[in-house]
Amino acid sequence: MKLRLLVQLGWRNLWRHKRRNGILLGGITFAIAAVVLANSFIRGMQVQMADNAVDLMNGHVKILAPGYLDDPGIAQSFEVAQDWRPDALEGITSDMVAGWASRVRVPAVIMSERETRGIQLVGIDPASENISFVGKLAIQGEGLADAADRRVIVGAGLAERIETQVGRRIVLITQGADGRNREAGYRVAGIYRSDTSSLEKIFVFTGRDTVQDLLETNVVTELSVRLTEERFSPPLLQRLANVFAGLDVMTWQQLDPTAAAMTAIIDVVILVYFFIMMGALSFGLVNSLVTAVMERTREMGMMRAIGMRPRSVLLQVVLESTLIMGAGIAGGVVIGVLAYLPIADGVDLAAFNEALSTFGLSNVLVPQLFAQDVILVVVLSLILGFVASASPAVRCMKMGPLEAMRR
Amino acid sequence: MSEEVVQCRGVTRVYADDAVPVHALRGVDFAVHKGDWVSLAGPSGSGKSTLLHIIGGLDRPNDGSVSVDGQSLGGLSEAQLSDLRLRKIGFVFQAYNLIPVLTAVENVEFIMQLQGIGASERRERALEILDRLGLDDIGDRRPGELSGGQQQRVAVARAVVTDPVLLLADEPSANLDTATTKELLELLRNINENHGVTIVTATHDPMVMGYAKRPVNLRDGAIESDGASTDAGTTAPSPDA
Repeated sequence: MKLRLLVQLGWRNLWRHKRRNGILLGGITFAIAAVVLANSFIRGMQVQMADNAVDLMNGHVKILAPGYLDDPGIAQSFEVAQDWRPDALEGITSDMVAGWASRVRVPAVIMSERETRGIQLVGIDPASENISFVGKLAIQGEGLADAADRRVIVGAGLAERIETQVGRRIVLITQGADGRNREAGYRVAGIYRSDTSSLEKIFVFTGRDTVQDLLETNVVTELSVRLTEERFSPPLLQRLANVFAGLDVMTWQQLDPTAAAMTAIIDVVILVYFFIMMGALSFGLVNSLVTAVMERTREMGMMRAIGMRPRSVLLQVVLESTLIMGAGIAGGVVIGVLAYLPIADGVDLAAFNEALSTFGLSNVLVPQLFAQDVILVVVLSLILGFVASASPAVRCMKMGPLEAMRR
Repeated sequence: MSEEVVQCRGVTRVYADDAVPVHALRGVDFAVHKGDWVSLAGPSGSGKSTLLHIIGGLDRPNDGSVSVDGQSLGGLSEAQLSDLRLRKIGFVFQAYNLIPVLTAVENVEFIMQLQGIGASERRERALEILDRLGLDDIGDRRPGELSGGQQQRVAVARAVVTDPVLLLADEPSANLDTATTKELLELLRNINENHGVTIVTATHDPMVMGYAKRPVNLRDGAIESDGASTDAGTTAPSPDA
């Protein structure tokens, strides 16, 4: 009953100074909308960084021979049975696994008629590569047909540098496990384009069996497993460590610590950004509340005099703050979500390609609006509203009725 | 002797905020009986408003005791004093009487809302008192749309709607013209005589004093004369006066 009275008083008091409170409400709404929208971009960057790190042929978990990371060559390799599958492991079900792929990745030299470049030669089974960026490549010409395909696909950036094109022949030279060089000529089946331009200059793909033939071996250098959700990573890691004892079983975070650190930092960035935006706004809120309380000191004194408890006066000031904060939060969230919807499919940032690729980001940034981020903003804003109203409210409560009425 | 609604014993109030302490009240002994209308009068600084505020629990004496309707005010917390004012005392002030964002009828309902009285009952009682005081046509207006006299009458309606044991009015006519003051005083007389509400006013206004049943004059923080000291049982001015 009394709470209803206080809400009624608070609500009407807000309408007493339409302009002032309107400006304040506008500020809160704008700030909340900006925070919601900016969070969706920041979260989008975080998701994209993590996705890209997983996409970059890491998977969520990857198996490597010991020493491969320091000296990536065919000497650091291992065998995998043709019919091996991760969802056959105890405790790992098929709905936990998005896919897996074994590859032979070795450093090599690519030679065209005009240029020579150092590259990473990756032997793949194209049917398995839906778990990495390789499966999503836009290819001019043709893609690889299967693991035995003897053609290559090269990145547009590399093709431009070595001045080759679809249908031309190139020569690949790499070192076998015995230390002797192996070389062979391959026809360019297709030229791929990637959102991350640096990849185009590094990776050359051909069939996995083709690379094994070239190196006269049947081993692979890596086995990646992609999960449907990140949270399945620990149990899989444990099972794989048991099955592939003696090999390195690593998460994408261990393989790409920079990306892992950046995604972790983003959780903090979101909070820092929130406190900067809302912190600045809270000065306006405190100022407005202090003014409102000062203007109504006599009135509040009178209310105390006729029987309103000190605590109720405090509650009224807090309620006024909460009401305006609540209205601003509601408006801000609605505007933030409405602003997010048209860009939910992604924003083309091709103009910043070089800078983005440095951070492991693609040209198209897809904002991610998570309910927990919106809830965090709402809860923190309400807490901020309480904190901002504390000083004027306590001041008002501590003042005796007579003292207040004499002001 | 009729029942005592207010009893003050040796009430002393010293304001020590400034370099020189100001003795606003010097050991005042004073009582108000049920059905009385006491007018506290005296020049500025005589202590009449201070005494009224102490009786109303808005101020605390440095020494002495005060009780209202048999309840001692000494030792009550701010919240308990608020409750006492809410349940037992009606107030009419010189100005800033009404809550600007509430209509006249909502202002009258305000105290009943604080008391937790249900919506339909308080609306009924608010409309009834406004009707009884001839204010039925202004119930839906906000204070800003009312004249000074109308505002004071609404304040009286709010003060008496919960049947308090005591109505305290501090300079109720200060901002009113003669005709409006007369209207207000007639209203208070009606409440006092016909509804038995005990009233204490603090005023400079001779017209208010003229309406009161018992004029009490204060000077320099002590009671100089008490119009009904004999039957009211009040004491003579304190030795400090």
